[in-house]
Amino acid sequence: MSSFGGGSRGGRGGAAGKGAGARGAQKDAGKRYFFRRRKVCKFCADKIDYVDYKDVKLLSAFVPERGKVLPRRMFGTCAEHQRKLTLAIKRARNIALLPFAAD
Amino acid sequence: MSDRVYEILFIADPNLGEPEVDALTEQIQGYVEKEGGRLQKVEKWGKKRLAYNIRKHSEGYYVLLVAEGKPALVKEVERRIRVTDGVVKFITVRVDEELRKAESRKAQRAKEEAKRKSHGRPPSSPVEGEEVSL
Repeated sequence: MSSFGGGSRGGRGGAAGKGAGARGAQKDAGKRYFFRRRKVCKFCADKIDYVDYKDVKLLSAFVPERGKVLPRRMFGTCAEHQRKLTLAIKRARNIALLPFAAD
Repeated sequence: MSDRVYEILFIADPNLGEPEVDALTEQIQGYVEKEGGRLQKVEKWGKKRLAYNIRKHSEGYYVLLVAEGKPALVKEVERRIRVTDGVVKFITVRVDEELRKAESRKAQRAKEEAKRKSHGRPPSSPVEGEEVSL
């Protein structure tokens, strides 16, 4: 992983290195480079400033059946909204709107 | 210092009838008013399933009160709710600061939107130009 990952990063960051950088990038693009849809924070996109713990419909979209809080990478939420989301989930759990851990 | 806004959400015993829940709600509203709180909103959500069992109940009536008052109000109201029969669980959340922040954020966004419209061009273009020249 280290050799390949390093190579691809070099290709991108090494734009200053002119010719060599360009060739490297081309090689990588064909083989290993894997495009993943870039996730955008839903709260930013929808301009939700206040994450309400009472909004079960919204929260349940970010909580799997088991009731766990998932890491940011799963939904692509930004750090700020992930913090607010986590707090909202915890409040919702307290008042039995969301489960702590379903079995 | 201005008063704070709190949301008091409680779950009433599902074995109570509709009128009894109303009576209970009024009782708790009474607690709030007696402590000098001003009610902004009373919302009955009706009977809902609980996500987990509380005191062997699997469902309950949700009632939301939004009140404005001093911190001492919450202390007293919570104490009273705790000794009130028929309340399965409750939660009090202070919301004024969060809502105020959200409000100012919204205003900020509207301002930026207006600015962008008047200038005609988004501020990201010069950065792109630089990249191309390299």
